[in-house]
Amino acid sequence: MLKQLAEWVFQVEFLFVILRITAPILFAALAAVVAEKAAMSNIGLEGTMMLSALFGFLFAYWTQSWLLGVLGAVIVGTLLALMMGFFYLEFKTDIILAGIAVNMLGEGGAIFLLFMFTGLRGNTAILVTPNILIPTIDIPLIKDIPFLGKILSGHCILTYIAFLLVWLIWLLLYRTPLGLNIRAVGESPQAASSVGVSVKRIKYIAIAMSGALAGLGGAFMSMYYSQGWNQGMVAGRGFIALAAQAMGRGEPVGAMLTSLLFGTAHGLSSKVAGLPNVSSFLVSMIPYAVTIMGLFIYAWNRTRKLKKRGIRRLTGV
Amino acid sequence: MLDRRMTQFNILRGAVAIFFALLVAAIFIFLTSESPWESLRYLLIGPLVIVKDGAIAFNTRNMLEVLAGMTPTIFTGLAVCVMFSANQFNLAGEGCVYVGAFVGGLIGVYWNLPPFIHPLVATLIAGIVCSVIMLIPALAKVKLGASEMVTSLMLNYVMLYVSMHFLNFYFADRSRGATMTHSFQDTARVTQIVSGTSKLSWGFIAALIFSVIVWFFMYRTRWGYSIRMIGINQSFALYSGMNVAGMIIVSQMIGGMLSGMGGSFEILGRYNQFLWLNLPGYGWTGITIAILAKNNPAAVPLAAFFLAYLNKGCMLMSTKTHVASEMIDIIQAAIFLFFAAEQFLSGYRQKIVVKTAREELLMQGNADIENGGAENA
Repeated sequence: MLKQLAEWVFQVEFLFVILRITAPILFAALAAVVAEKAAMSNIGLEGTMMLSALFGFLFAYWTQSWLLGVLGAVIVGTLLALMMGFFYLEFKTDIILAGIAVNMLGEGGAIFLLFMFTGLRGNTAILVTPNILIPTIDIPLIKDIPFLGKILSGHCILTYIAFLLVWLIWLLLYRTPLGLNIRAVGESPQAASSVGVSVKRIKYIAIAMSGALAGLGGAFMSMYYSQGWNQGMVAGRGFIALAAQAMGRGEPVGAMLTSLLFGTAHGLSSKVAGLPNVSSFLVSMIPYAVTIMGLFIYAWNRTRKLKKRGIRRLTGV
Repeated sequence: MLDRRMTQFNILRGAVAIFFALLVAAIFIFLTSESPWESLRYLLIGPLVIVKDGAIAFNTRNMLEVLAGMTPTIFTGLAVCVMFSANQFNLAGEGCVYVGAFVGGLIGVYWNLPPFIHPLVATLIAGIVCSVIMLIPALAKVKLGASEMVTSLMLNYVMLYVSMHFLNFYFADRSRGATMTHSFQDTARVTQIVSGTSKLSWGFIAALIFSVIVWFFMYRTRWGYSIRMIGINQSFALYSGMNVAGMIIVSQMIGGMLSGMGGSFEILGRYNQFLWLNLPGYGWTGITIAILAKNNPAAVPLAAFFLAYLNKGCMLMSTKTHVASEMIDIIQAAIFLFFAAEQFLSGYRQKIVVKTAREELLMQGNADIENGGAENA
């Protein structure tokens, strides 16, 4: 069985699929990276993706334009994040609790709003038209390279944007004044504020960017990946993204690598599900179990390094 | 003086928060409902009274259903209280309710025990299984420094799928159309308090008893004090010699235990078979309850009642006037946000503090003048 798995992993189609499965996790992981750099744990990514996926789809349906749909998803994602930011920064709501509230909205609120706007329950399958779905593109030159072409070319536009954003977010964080401010606010808000940086403003900007990125992830889910919005669509990807952020040491490139790992786990689980005599339930569990194990290995590694340097954590262990 | 005014302020603040949440609900109702006033009536007083031919009567059946609906959420609310008090954002209560119901249900089907003992044993074992499961995020937090929040979120899915696997491949009753276990034995059922369709079982009484026990544990025992102190100031707890790592583990195990027991009481009290095919959502409601109760176990039943009442109101509104019942999640999120907001109405609180301080100074001053006068005379 392991041999068969290894065979799959290096198949052209499978590598293509992995990139597709990774993209939404990557969007959310980047969202987590930006928020975490400004010292905010955005646990609301799950709900943000749910709602922006819904509204992205609805905007696209109303305007019959996928581009406006994506834009709508980004706007909704940003607004939700700003709402979280507002409660966190103005009313001192714990950011984790604000995130849980957004997830509640995403859970039932999305179903309610779908019913309110369209009268549909649970999914939008009957509204799907080709105009709504985000188109795929073939990249000239690259598509003619033998092996690689088939893996890299022919993806949806947002898939390319996801991987491009890894680089852009890195640039933003490490090569712009705004990025410097975000990192400063995250590491030492007092120091940042003592040199005249408005901590509140920077945090608003960071959380809004986080929401916009999650919005892109949502749009990808409903307007490409599952071809329409449905209730169980996001399925914990927002949470997996938090793990990807933690394991990727909070860096864009690290988050991309861990997102690819989780994407591979997802891809394998849907492959294995096709085999006879395999429990589809245990297979569905794989991505989550892999995430837990990945987190533990990462944390264990970090603890060992800290111990070497003689640093004890606050639990006294 | 200040204490009394602060209590008044907190009550006012809660009322304003609830008012805002209901205002949000009302806006959505007016946007969606064809008969908004009727919808609003069902939401707000539907569970309490029946209006028939202009006469108003107390709605006993609905109120019993509200009370029955509180059973699992009191347990999850208590679980979250204990874990959040220690600043452990463990969110696996959701999965624990599911596993607890599954384990309790299986014992209800396959074991042979006398009545009364049977559901208690089932529930106890369900609780123990869940507290052992909670060792995973707890130990990872203490030994490895891994965030219990992310681990527990992932764990919810793992618990769901592993249980579903066993349900489908080993314990499903193949003679039925849907996936479910065989029926529970009669000895395993949690007895109903009142006969009828409300399904209000003794599990409800157990939930109330546990609210008292957990309150006693948190406010009257050494462990409870340590748990609360870790939440307030972990460094202080550590340097004053408390077993921080141990208490972090204990708090999460208790959380798992309570959540699992809630699931077991729920399934043995209100169902004939285990037939949940998705996470039931009680764990998340438990978080809202803990926030409403400000992590105080004694206030949990009240908060649970409030949410169960709103939930029932939403159901009634949905069946009678076709407003989607998922409205409850929007209301819940709004209440949640305002209640968790530390600084909500802080300007007004500041005014109260200043005013009280001024008055006290003034009284002090008057008293000084009188005393001073007496001395001089």
